[in-house]
Amino acid sequence: MISFKTLHILNKPPDHSRFRLCLSAIGPEDGLLLTENGVLAVTRRLGLNPERCFALSPDLEARGLSSQFSKEQTVSFDGMVGLTASAENVISW
Amino acid sequence: MSTLIIIDQPPYGSWEGREALDMAFSLAAFDQPVSLLFCGAGVNWLRKGQDAAKVHQKSIERNLSAAPIFGVEALLADSHACDQYGLVETELLDQATITDFGPELTARFDHVAFAG
Repeated sequence: MISFKTLHILNKPPDHSRFRLCLSAIGPEDGLLLTENGVLAVTRRLGLNPERCFALSPDLEARGLSSQFSKEQTVSFDGMVGLTASAENVISW
Repeated sequence: MSTLIIIDQPPYGSWEGREALDMAFSLAAFDQPVSLLFCGAGVNWLRKGQDAAKVHQKSIERNLSAAPIFGVEALLADSHACDQYGLVETELLDQATITDFGPELTARFDHVAFAG
């Protein structure tokens, strides 16, 4: 499994100021996990490396967005635990 | 184990920032290395000349002046946000340092946290 220096867990919608702040803090060895309202970002082009960008499936499903995001990048709650375990640091935005 | 606490909310409108300050002072009081970073509208915390008497609150400027006494290592101000809110170095509290926000900054800390 891919490992990260920092995993950024982002639960704010794309219009939130902390969303932009988070994107500016992502380094080349970091990963991004979208949760809660953060998954609304899958409707936008973020210009991030897709191998390092994930979204939580229950939150995608709740918002009817599952079909808009690649299956390989969608994670369950168990997958979220795996991602956090594979990172040296976690920042919850 | 160093901690960076980020304040990105403007002062006086909500209690979230004050809670972040309490977190920072508590860590510092127990000898845990901690710094504060002010981003976005949060840089307005660092403006000189605050007088909150008429909104019936304590001045955050006075609160922040206690940071070095508690042992808070640095008050950092994001340069981009300072530009956005028209803050130049001379208008910032004397303890504040202007810095560039990005992965290099957050990587210097073991923990990065927000209040609220």
